[in-house]
Amino acid sequence: MIFIAIVLGCIIGALIGINAPIIPYTYSGYLAIAIIAALDSVFGGIASTLKKNFDLRIFVSGFFGNAILSILLTYLGQRLNVDIYLAAIVVFVGRMFNNLAMIRRYYLDKFGKYREKQKAKIEEKDRKRSIKKSIRQYVRIVTKILQKYYKFY
Amino acid sequence: MEKLKEKLVDQFKKITLNDLAVAIVLFIACATLICIMFMQFKTVEETDIADLESMRETELRTALSEWKTKYDTVASELADTEKKINEYNDKIGNDDDAEKLINKELQQSNLILGKTDVFGEGIVVTLRDNDIKKISANDLIELVNELRYAGAEAISINDIRIIQTTSIVDIDDKYINIDGRRIASPYIVKTIGNQTYLSSVLNMKNSGFIDRYTSDNYSVEYEMRKRVEILKYNGEIVANHLMEGEE
Repeated sequence: MIFIAIVLGCIIGALIGINAPIIPYTYSGYLAIAIIAALDSVFGGIASTLKKNFDLRIFVSGFFGNAILSILLTYLGQRLNVDIYLAAIVVFVGRMFNNLAMIRRYYLDKFGKYREKQKAKIEEKDRKRSIKKSIRQYVRIVTKILQKYYKFY
Repeated sequence: MEKLKEKLVDQFKKITLNDLAVAIVLFIACATLICIMFMQFKTVEETDIADLESMRETELRTALSEWKTKYDTVASELADTEKKINEYNDKIGNDDDAEKLINKELQQSNLILGKTDVFGEGIVVTLRDNDIKKISANDLIELVNELRYAGAEAISINDIRIIQTTSIVDIDDKYINIDGRRIASPYIVKTIGNQTYLSSVLNMKNSGFIDRYTSDNYSVEYEMRKRVEILKYNGEIVANHLMEGEE
Protein backbone atom coordinates (compact mmCIF):
# COMPACT_ATOMS: atom_id res chain seq x y z
CA MET A 1 0.00 0.00 0.00
CA ILE A 2 2.65 2.47 1.09
CA PHE A 3 4.99 1.27 -1.65
CA ILE A 4 2.29 1.81 -4.28
CA ALA A 5 1.63 5.31 -2.94
CA ILE A 6 5.33 6.19 -3.17
CA VAL A 7 5.69 4.91 -6.74
CA LEU A 8 2.52 6.65 -7.87
CA GLY A 9 3.65 9.88 -6.21
CA CYS A 10 7.01 9.71 -7.98
CA ILE A 11 5.41 9.16 -11.39
CA ILE A 12 2.84 11.93 -11.03
CA GLY A 13 5.44 14.31 -9.61
CA ALA A 14 7.75 13.62 -12.55
CA LEU A 15 4.93 14.25 -15.03
CA ILE A 16 4.03 17.56 -13.39
CA GLY A 17 7.68 18.59 -13.09
CA ILE A 18 8.43 17.90 -16.76
CA ASN A 19 5.47 19.99 -17.87
CA ALA A 20 6.01 22.78 -15.33
CA PRO A 21 7.41 26.16 -16.46
CA ILE A 22 11.03 27.12 -15.90
CA ILE A 23 11.84 28.93 -12.68
CA PRO A 24 13.94 32.10 -12.85
CA TYR A 25 17.59 31.35 -12.20
CA THR A 26 17.72 33.55 -9.09
CA TYR A 27 15.14 31.36 -7.34
CA SER A 28 16.62 28.05 -8.45
CA GLY A 29 19.26 28.30 -5.70
CA TYR A 30 16.54 28.34 -3.04
CA LEU A 31 14.81 25.41 -4.69
CA ALA A 32 18.01 23.39 -4.72
CA ILE A 33 18.39 23.89 -0.97
CA ALA A 34 14.76 22.87 -0.45
CA ILE A 35 15.33 19.70 -2.48
CA ILE A 36 18.37 18.79 -0.40
CA ALA A 37 16.41 19.33 2.82
CA ALA A 38 13.51 17.20 1.57
CA LEU A 39 15.85 14.41 0.47
CA ASP A 40 17.45 14.49 3.92
CA SER A 41 14.00 14.06 5.49
CA VAL A 42 13.24 11.14 3.17
CA PHE A 43 16.40 9.30 4.10
CA GLY A 44 15.77 10.08 7.75
CA GLY A 45 12.29 8.60 7.37
CA ILE A 46 13.63 5.41 5.79
CA ALA A 47 16.24 5.05 8.52
CA SER A 48 13.62 5.54 11.22
CA THR A 49 11.31 2.93 9.63
CA LEU A 50 14.18 0.50 9.72
CA LYS A 51 14.72 1.37 13.39
CA LYS A 52 10.97 0.94 13.87
CA ASN A 53 10.45 4.33 15.47
CA PHE A 54 8.95 6.07 12.39
CA ASP A 55 6.50 8.83 13.27
CA LEU A 56 4.42 10.36 10.52
CA ARG A 57 4.12 13.72 12.26
CA ILE A 58 7.86 14.02 12.67
CA PHE A 59 8.40 13.03 9.03
CA VAL A 60 5.90 15.52 7.60
CA SER A 61 7.03 18.39 9.79
CA GLY A 62 10.67 17.63 8.93
CA PHE A 63 9.94 17.30 5.23
CA PHE A 64 8.17 20.63 4.79
CA GLY A 65 9.61 22.50 7.77
CA ASN A 66 13.23 21.81 6.89
CA ALA A 67 12.67 22.81 3.27
CA ILE A 68 11.01 26.11 4.21
CA LEU A 69 13.52 26.83 6.94
CA SER A 70 16.45 26.21 4.63
CA ILE A 71 14.95 28.56 2.03
CA LEU A 72 14.47 31.25 4.67
CA LEU A 73 18.01 30.78 5.93
CA THR A 74 19.39 31.05 2.40
CA TYR A 75 17.42 34.25 1.86
CA LEU A 76 18.70 35.64 5.15
CA GLY A 77 22.24 34.69 4.14
CA GLN A 78 21.86 36.59 0.89
CA ARG A 79 20.58 39.63 2.74
CA LEU A 80 23.51 39.42 5.19
CA ASN A 81 26.01 38.64 2.40
CA VAL A 82 26.95 35.35 4.12
CA ASP A 83 26.66 32.04 2.28
CA ILE A 84 24.48 30.33 4.88
CA TYR A 85 23.27 27.84 2.27
CA LEU A 86 26.72 26.25 2.39
CA ALA A 87 26.18 25.44 6.08
CA ALA A 88 22.71 24.07 5.30
CA ILE A 89 24.13 21.86 2.55
CA VAL A 90 26.92 20.58 4.81
CA VAL A 91 24.46 19.68 7.58
CA PHE A 92 21.86 18.06 5.32
CA VAL A 93 24.31 16.12 3.21
CA GLY A 94 26.20 14.98 6.30
CA ARG A 95 22.98 13.70 7.84
CA MET A 96 22.05 12.05 4.56
CA PHE A 97 25.33 10.16 4.58
CA ASN A 98 24.77 9.12 8.20
CA ASN A 99 21.30 7.82 7.41
CA LEU A 100 22.53 6.03 4.29
CA ALA A 101 25.30 4.41 6.34
CA MET A 102 22.72 3.24 8.86
CA ILE A 103 20.50 1.82 6.15
CA ARG A 104 23.48 0.07 4.58
CA ARG A 105 24.55 -1.42 7.87
CA TYR A 106 21.05 -2.62 8.58
CA TYR A 107 20.76 -4.44 5.28
CA LEU A 108 24.30 -5.81 5.52
CA ASP A 109 23.42 -7.20 8.95
CA LYS A 110 20.25 -8.72 7.57
CA PHE A 111 22.12 -10.29 4.68
CA GLY A 112 24.83 -11.61 7.00
CA LYS A 113 22.23 -13.16 9.30
CA TYR A 114 20.51 -14.78 6.35
CA ARG A 115 23.79 -16.25 5.14
CA GLU A 116 24.55 -17.56 8.62
CA LYS A 117 21.13 -19.19 8.86
CA GLN A 118 21.63 -20.86 5.50
CA LYS A 119 25.01 -22.07 6.56
CA ALA A 120 23.60 -23.43 9.81
CA LYS A 121 20.87 -25.23 7.90
CA ILE A 122 23.39 -26.86 5.58
CA GLU A 123 25.55 -27.90 8.47
CA GLU A 124 22.61 -29.45 10.26
CA LYS A 125 21.65 -31.33 7.12
CA ASP A 126 25.21 -32.62 6.78
CA ARG A 127 25.28 -33.72 10.40
CA LYS A 128 21.99 -35.55 10.05
CA ARG A 129 23.24 -37.21 6.90
CA SER A 130 26.45 -38.33 8.58
CA ILE A 131 24.52 -39.69 11.53
CA LYS A 132 22.27 -41.64 9.21
CA LYS A 133 25.32 -42.95 7.38
CA SER A 134 26.98 -44.11 10.56
CA ILE A 135 23.77 -45.78 11.74
CA ARG A 136 23.49 -47.56 8.42
CA GLN A 137 27.07 -48.75 8.65
CA TYR A 138 26.46 -49.93 12.18
CA VAL A 139 23.37 -51.87 11.08
CA ARG A 140 25.26 -53.42 8.21
CA ILE A 141 28.06 -54.60 10.49
CA VAL A 142 25.58 -55.97 12.95
CA THR A 143 23.73 -57.91 10.27
CA LYS A 144 26.98 -59.34 8.91
CA ILE A 145 27.95 -60.49 12.39
CA LEU A 146 24.53 -61.97 12.87
CA GLN A 147 24.74 -63.77 9.47
CA LYS A 148 28.09 -65.26 10.45
CA TYR A 149 26.65 -66.36 13.75
CA TYR A 150 23.72 -68.15 12.05
CA LYS A 151 26.01 -69.82 9.55
CA PHE A 152 28.08 -71.13 12.35
CA TYR A 153 25.13 -72.93 13.77
CA MET B 1 -5.83 -17.51 -8.43
CA GLU B 2 -8.69 -17.57 -6.02
CA LYS B 3 -6.27 -17.93 -3.18
CA LEU B 4 -4.41 -14.82 -4.38
CA LYS B 5 -7.67 -12.92 -4.57
CA GLU B 6 -8.58 -13.94 -1.09
CA LYS B 7 -5.18 -12.86 0.12
CA LEU B 8 -5.55 -9.42 -1.50
CA VAL B 9 -9.01 -8.96 -0.04
CA ASP B 10 -7.67 -9.94 3.34
CA GLN B 11 -4.89 -7.39 3.04
CA PHE B 12 -7.39 -4.75 1.95
CA LYS B 13 -9.48 -5.47 5.00
CA LYS B 14 -6.42 -5.18 7.17
CA ILE B 15 -5.72 -1.57 6.01
CA THR B 16 -6.51 0.86 8.78
CA LEU B 17 -7.25 4.58 8.64
CA ASN B 18 -3.78 5.33 9.94
CA ASP B 19 -2.18 3.40 7.10
CA LEU B 20 -4.26 5.30 4.55
CA ALA B 21 -3.20 8.64 6.03
CA VAL B 22 0.44 7.58 5.91
CA ALA B 23 0.07 6.51 2.29
CA ILE B 24 -1.57 9.79 1.27
CA VAL B 25 1.02 11.89 3.06
CA LEU B 26 3.86 9.91 1.51
CA PHE B 27 2.21 10.26 -1.90
CA ILE B 28 1.99 14.04 -1.55
CA ALA B 29 5.54 14.30 -0.25
CA CYS B 30 6.96 12.17 -3.07
CA ALA B 31 4.98 14.03 -5.70
CA THR B 32 6.16 17.46 -4.50
CA LEU B 33 9.75 16.36 -4.12
CA ILE B 34 10.02 14.75 -7.53
CA CYS B 35 8.11 17.59 -9.16
CA ILE B 36 10.45 20.21 -7.70
CA MET B 37 13.46 18.11 -8.59
CA PHE B 38 12.40 17.83 -12.22
CA MET B 39 11.67 21.55 -12.38
CA GLN B 40 15.14 22.23 -11.04
CA PHE B 41 16.73 19.86 -13.56
CA LYS B 42 14.91 21.62 -16.34
CA THR B 43 15.91 25.10 -15.24
CA VAL B 44 19.53 24.09 -14.79
CA GLU B 45 19.56 22.49 -18.24
CA GLU B 46 17.83 25.39 -19.93
CA THR B 47 19.92 28.09 -18.33
CA ASP B 48 23.18 26.28 -19.01
CA ILE B 49 23.36 28.14 -22.33
CA ALA B 50 25.99 30.84 -22.13
CA ASP B 51 23.74 33.69 -21.14
CA LEU B 52 23.79 36.50 -18.66
CA GLU B 53 21.24 34.76 -16.46
CA SER B 54 23.13 31.50 -16.47
CA MET B 55 26.36 33.11 -15.30
CA ARG B 56 27.39 32.48 -11.74
CA GLU B 57 27.29 35.36 -9.35
CA THR B 58 31.08 35.54 -9.10
CA GLU B 59 31.41 35.66 -12.90
CA LEU B 60 28.87 38.44 -13.02
CA ARG B 61 30.78 40.30 -10.34
CA THR B 62 34.07 40.07 -12.24
CA ALA B 63 32.34 41.16 -15.44
CA LEU B 64 30.77 44.06 -13.61
CA SER B 65 34.07 45.18 -12.13
CA GLU B 66 35.69 44.96 -15.57
CA TRP B 67 32.97 47.12 -17.05
CA LYS B 68 33.34 49.55 -14.18
CA THR B 69 37.08 49.97 -14.82
CA LYS B 70 36.41 50.37 -18.54
CA TYR B 71 33.76 52.94 -17.80
CA ASP B 72 36.13 54.84 -15.51
CA THR B 73 38.88 54.95 -18.15
CA VAL B 74 36.44 56.08 -20.82
CA ALA B 75 34.99 58.71 -18.49
CA SER B 76 38.47 60.08 -17.75
CA GLU B 77 39.23 60.18 -21.48
CA LEU B 78 35.99 62.00 -22.07
CA ALA B 79 36.88 64.55 -19.39
CA ASP B 80 40.29 65.07 -21.03
CA THR B 81 38.81 65.62 -24.47
CA GLU B 82 36.23 67.99 -23.05
CA LYS B 83 39.01 69.95 -21.41
CA LYS B 84 40.85 70.13 -24.73
CA ILE B 85 37.72 71.29 -26.51
CA ASN B 86 37.24 74.02 -23.94
CA GLU B 87 40.83 75.12 -24.40
CA TYR B 88 40.38 75.27 -28.15
CA ASN B 89 37.18 77.23 -27.73
CA ASP B 90 38.98 79.71 -25.51
CA LYS B 91 41.76 80.02 -28.06
CA ILE B 92 39.28 80.62 -30.84
CA GLY B 93 37.52 83.23 -28.72
CA ASN B 94 40.84 84.95 -28.08
CA ASP B 95 41.98 84.70 -31.65
CA ASP B 96 40.19 87.74 -33.08
CA ASP B 97 42.47 87.85 -36.08
CA ALA B 98 41.32 84.45 -37.29
CA GLU B 99 37.71 85.42 -36.90
CA LYS B 100 38.25 88.64 -38.73
CA LEU B 101 40.05 86.82 -41.49
CA ILE B 102 37.19 84.36 -41.86
CA ASN B 103 34.64 87.15 -41.89
CA LYS B 104 36.64 89.01 -44.51
CA GLU B 105 36.81 85.89 -46.63
CA LEU B 106 33.09 85.40 -46.29
CA GLN B 107 32.44 89.00 -47.29
CA GLN B 108 34.70 88.69 -50.28
CA SER B 109 33.07 85.50 -51.46
CA ASN B 110 29.66 87.11 -51.03
CA LEU B 111 30.91 90.08 -53.02
CA ILE B 112 32.07 87.82 -55.83
CA LEU B 113 28.94 85.70 -55.74
CA GLY B 114 26.80 88.79 -56.09
CA LYS B 115 24.99 88.63 -52.81
CA THR B 116 25.74 92.24 -51.90
CA ASP B 117 25.24 95.65 -53.47
CA VAL B 118 28.48 96.87 -54.93
CA PHE B 119 29.89 100.01 -56.44
CA GLY B 120 33.11 101.05 -58.10
CA GLU B 121 34.60 102.54 -61.22
CA GLY B 122 33.37 101.10 -64.45
CA ILE B 123 31.46 101.63 -67.69
CA VAL B 124 27.84 101.68 -68.75
CA VAL B 125 26.84 100.42 -72.20
CA THR B 126 23.35 101.17 -73.44
CA LEU B 127 21.87 99.17 -76.32
CA ARG B 128 18.67 100.26 -78.01
CA ASP B 129 16.39 98.76 -80.61
CA ASN B 130 16.21 100.95 -83.73
CA ASP B 131 14.31 100.69 -86.96
CA ILE B 132 16.95 98.67 -88.74
CA LYS B 133 18.27 96.31 -86.05
CA LYS B 134 16.83 94.85 -82.89
CA ILE B 135 18.88 93.64 -79.94
CA SER B 136 18.67 89.90 -79.32
CA ALA B 137 19.75 87.76 -76.39
CA ASN B 138 22.82 86.61 -78.29
CA ASP B 139 24.01 90.18 -78.59
CA LEU B 140 23.73 90.63 -74.84
CA ILE B 141 25.54 87.32 -74.24
CA GLU B 142 28.31 88.41 -76.54
CA LEU B 143 28.60 91.71 -74.72
CA VAL B 144 28.69 90.06 -71.31
CA ASN B 145 31.25 87.57 -72.53
CA GLU B 146 33.44 90.31 -73.88
CA LEU B 147 33.10 92.35 -70.69
CA ARG B 148 34.15 89.32 -68.65
CA TYR B 149 37.08 88.83 -70.98
CA ALA B 150 38.00 92.45 -70.31
CA GLY B 151 38.08 91.82 -66.57
CA ALA B 152 34.60 92.85 -65.46
CA GLU B 153 34.06 92.15 -61.77
CA ALA B 154 30.30 92.73 -61.65
CA ILE B 155 27.77 93.10 -64.44
CA SER B 156 24.08 93.96 -64.43
CA ILE B 157 21.57 94.40 -67.24
CA ASN B 158 18.66 96.72 -66.41
CA ASP B 159 19.61 96.28 -62.73
CA ILE B 160 19.48 92.50 -62.93
CA ARG B 161 22.72 91.15 -61.56
CA ILE B 162 24.49 88.75 -63.87
CA ILE B 163 25.97 85.88 -61.88
CA GLN B 164 27.45 82.48 -62.64
CA THR B 165 24.10 80.80 -63.20
CA THR B 166 22.33 83.61 -65.04
CA SER B 167 20.59 82.71 -68.28
CA ILE B 168 19.81 85.15 -71.10
CA VAL B 169 17.14 83.92 -73.50
CA ASP B 170 14.99 85.42 -76.24
CA ILE B 171 11.23 85.35 -75.64
CA ASP B 172 10.09 87.04 -78.86
CA ASP B 173 11.16 90.01 -80.98
CA LYS B 174 10.41 92.53 -78.26
CA TYR B 175 11.49 90.94 -75.03
CA ILE B 176 14.48 89.19 -73.54
CA ASN B 177 14.29 86.95 -70.48
CA ILE B 178 17.05 87.22 -67.89
CA ASP B 179 16.73 84.83 -64.93
CA GLY B 180 12.95 84.67 -65.35
CA ARG B 181 12.49 88.45 -65.62
CA ARG B 182 11.32 90.09 -68.79
CA ILE B 183 13.16 93.16 -70.03
CA ALA B 184 12.89 95.29 -73.12
CA SER B 185 14.87 98.00 -74.89
CA PRO B 186 16.78 100.05 -73.80
CA TYR B 187 19.26 97.61 -72.31
CA ILE B 188 21.57 99.32 -69.83
CA VAL B 189 24.57 97.14 -69.14
CA LYS B 190 26.49 98.30 -66.07
CA THR B 191 29.93 96.94 -65.45
CA ILE B 192 32.44 97.41 -62.64
CA GLY B 193 36.05 96.83 -63.45
CA ASN B 194 39.23 98.49 -64.62
CA GLN B 195 37.93 101.31 -66.87
CA THR B 196 40.89 101.40 -69.19
CA TYR B 197 40.88 97.64 -69.79
CA LEU B 198 37.15 97.56 -70.30
CA SER B 199 37.03 100.48 -72.72
CA SER B 200 40.07 99.40 -74.68
CA VAL B 201 38.70 95.84 -75.18
CA LEU B 202 35.27 97.12 -76.18
CA ASN B 203 36.64 99.82 -78.49
CA MET B 204 39.17 97.71 -80.37
CA LYS B 205 39.06 98.48 -84.05
CA ASN B 206 37.30 95.76 -86.15
CA SER B 207 37.13 93.20 -83.37
CA GLY B 208 35.80 95.29 -80.44
CA PHE B 209 32.11 95.02 -79.56
CA ILE B 210 31.26 98.69 -80.03
CA ASP B 211 33.14 99.05 -83.28
CA ARG B 212 31.54 95.97 -84.82
CA TYR B 213 28.02 96.76 -83.67
CA THR B 214 28.00 100.45 -84.60
CA SER B 215 29.27 99.51 -88.02
CA ASP B 216 26.39 96.99 -88.24
CA ASN B 217 23.90 99.83 -87.59
CA TYR B 218 23.09 98.90 -83.98
CA SER B 219 22.57 101.84 -81.66
CA VAL B 220 25.18 101.42 -78.94
CA GLU B 221 26.02 104.09 -76.36
CA TYR B 222 29.05 103.91 -74.22
CA GLU B 223 29.88 105.89 -71.05
CA MET B 224 32.69 105.76 -68.50
CA ARG B 225 31.78 106.46 -64.90
CA LYS B 226 33.77 106.97 -61.73
CA ARG B 227 31.04 105.39 -59.68
CA VAL B 228 28.86 102.60 -61.03
CA GLU B 229 26.34 101.07 -58.61
CA ILE B 230 25.23 97.48 -59.11
CA LEU B 231 22.48 95.92 -57.04
CA LYS B 232 22.77 92.52 -55.42
CA TYR B 233 21.32 89.34 -56.92
CA ASN B 234 17.86 89.01 -55.45
CA GLY B 235 17.07 85.46 -56.47
CA GLU B 236 18.16 82.37 -54.62
CA ILE B 237 21.29 80.48 -55.54
CA VAL B 238 20.22 76.86 -55.39
CA ALA B 239 22.48 73.83 -55.27
CA ASN B 240 20.18 70.85 -54.94
CA HIS B 241 22.24 68.39 -56.92
CA LEU B 242 25.70 69.52 -56.04
CA MET B 243 27.79 67.43 -53.68
CA GLU B 244 31.13 68.39 -52.26
CA GLY B 245 33.80 66.12 -53.71
CA GLU B 246 35.77 64.01 -51.27
CA GLU B 247 39.50 64.49 -51.33
